[in-house]
Amino acid sequence: MTEKMIIEVEGLVKHYGEVKAVDDVSFTVEEGEIFGLLGPNGAGKTTLMEILCCLRRFDSGKVIVHSFDPKKNSLEVRASIGFCPQETLLYDLLNVYENLAFSASLYSLSSKKFKERVEFSSKVLGVGEFLKRRVEQLSGGMKRRANLAASIIHDPSIIILDEPTVGFDPNIKREFWELIRNIKNYGKTVLLSTHDMYEADEICDRVAIMDKGKIVALDKPHILKKTIGGEPLIHVRVKSSQAKKAISILKEYKTSVRDNEIHISVENPWETMTEVSNKLTSQEVLIEKIEIVEPTLEDVFVKLTGRKLTEEAT
Amino acid sequence: MNSIMGIAKKDIKILFREKGTVFWTIAFPVMILLLFTAIFGREIPFNANIGVVNYDDDPYGISASVVNGLNNTGFLTVKNFTDENEALEELNATNIRAVLVIPQNFSQNLYTENASVSLILDGTNPDVYRVINDGIKTFFLEFYKDFYNYTYGTNYTEPITIKTEISEIGQQIGYKESIVPGMLTYPLLFSSMVVSTGAIVFEREKGTLKKIRVAPIRPINMLFGKTLAALFQTSISILIMALLAVVLLGPKLNWNVPLLIPIFFLGSMNGIALGLIISCIGRAPQEASNAATTIAVVLQFFTGMYFPIEYLPVYMQQFGRVIPMTYAAQALRDIMIRNATFADLAISMLTLMLSAAFLYGIGVLLYKRWVEK
Repeated sequence: MTEKMIIEVEGLVKHYGEVKAVDDVSFTVEEGEIFGLLGPNGAGKTTLMEILCCLRRFDSGKVIVHSFDPKKNSLEVRASIGFCPQETLLYDLLNVYENLAFSASLYSLSSKKFKERVEFSSKVLGVGEFLKRRVEQLSGGMKRRANLAASIIHDPSIIILDEPTVGFDPNIKREFWELIRNIKNYGKTVLLSTHDMYEADEICDRVAIMDKGKIVALDKPHILKKTIGGEPLIHVRVKSSQAKKAISILKEYKTSVRDNEIHISVENPWETMTEVSNKLTSQEVLIEKIEIVEPTLEDVFVKLTGRKLTEEAT
Repeated sequence: MNSIMGIAKKDIKILFREKGTVFWTIAFPVMILLLFTAIFGREIPFNANIGVVNYDDDPYGISASVVNGLNNTGFLTVKNFTDENEALEELNATNIRAVLVIPQNFSQNLYTENASVSLILDGTNPDVYRVINDGIKTFFLEFYKDFYNYTYGTNYTEPITIKTEISEIGQQIGYKESIVPGMLTYPLLFSSMVVSTGAIVFEREKGTLKKIRVAPIRPINMLFGKTLAALFQTSISILIMALLAVVLLGPKLNWNVPLLIPIFFLGSMNGIALGLIISCIGRAPQEASNAATTIAVVLQFFTGMYFPIEYLPVYMQQFGRVIPMTYAAQALRDIMIRNATFADLAISMLTLMLSAAFLYGIGVLLYKRWVEK
């Protein structure tokens, strides 16, 4: 492996009784990238992350984090990781500054370094405006930011985020993605789990798609979409009374109907879209909407597993 | 009404699904009832060790039968000594509660109706003092009655004289002086154990334990951090109790702070370590809380906090002697009532230190096993 690999996992297996939660998983994470684990609930993402954070033992395989073996050098591994789980791990009766101070104490940060890191959190994560407020008085978004700030107060080189935006409304979600990108800009490696395909697509440099404890595909999102998700489709919506006529006009193309829309699969949709539009309008079919839709990671997951990402989500 | 029943049903269902909670819910009344039955359900609910020094030159075995008779009363266990000083040393160490000295001419003087014995009593525990004093006087009264009837065939005229004196090692004290050291043992057992149990259970319930576990700290650091906070909380309880005891009861006690502090510290450490162990074993918060309360309530009977351990059956007294908190309770009594010195407390301190280290060792192992599953 090259020096750029900051996490190396090889043949990792973890059982919970009879259930194989992680099944022969192998992957590497490069330094400075945002690496996503995408999969439905129960796919083994959290277990995998907890193993990397030394929170769980594993049955077999090899794990190297920042050149350390978690089994032998657990303290070193934990010092190099900032783990931010799904739930907010802050003390409600303490204010944000006190929570950050407690987290800093766990990593034996000097007061000078702590001050620097609080300034960093204020600047990059925007916690400065509510540093002196008790956690119980914060909004959900503020709590998440404070939670992330507490998780990375010790300036770790690897940041592990377990479903960081679950339960967020779209605006806060976008705000949080921006925070993660900001962190990456400071040279940090981010490993995040999500069952949100847009999130994985939006912020991850590479994505490993997990299902039933296995990694079923791993690559850059656009490559996964292109190689597994298939070609872009032309989506056409016409008046429902004209749907049959439209399909008949477009019979020379490979079509399917889903959600009251005609999906046309062609090699070059950008060129074909005008042709389709002209054919329909010339036959007096009123087009309500016509667009080219790129395949999503959801499509990739469906093609790989035959199920939707949300099917097993709770 | 539906909502009330719904809430009640839900809570009961949850209770029965937390097996540990069910266990401690049942264990508490069972253990308390068994304890009360064992302690108070006996014909003679008292048994104290006394020393007997028999100097009597007795060709008929009369004084020997006195010793046997005392041993057979059921409320006294006799330890024989040949030297009075040796017996007094044991009395000083609270291994025995009284020393009975039978003089050289005791048997002969019985015939001249001029017999006497000396009884040296530990006056530092009013209950024990009273029971032994009254019991031995009654014993000799009955003994002389039998002896007189057997010898002369008529009723006796005068009983044996018992010269009673209080041991020099402790002044005779009142009930409030007797109860205060026991009261101060309370926070060592209850506050420390319940606080430390709650400390880890709180983190686990809140989820924040994950934050601590993921940090590069050793389990022992986590436990010591929790210990310091629990010590602080226990110290507040002790301080408030001591101040209130002084203000409300005004006991005449020796408040030797430099000696009391290490005993409070070591006693608290034992209670806290036990609490940490319980919190690592208990899965649900309710289970851990029930376990801590039950164990603390049960242990208090064995420590002599509220009533002398002489009221316990002998086997329970022996169990009490292996509980660290019994040593803390005794050490507090020794300091506050007997004016004990550092040297007098060496064994208690060493015992408390070793037991705290042992309990912490178990706590660390359990915590490690629990967090690294």
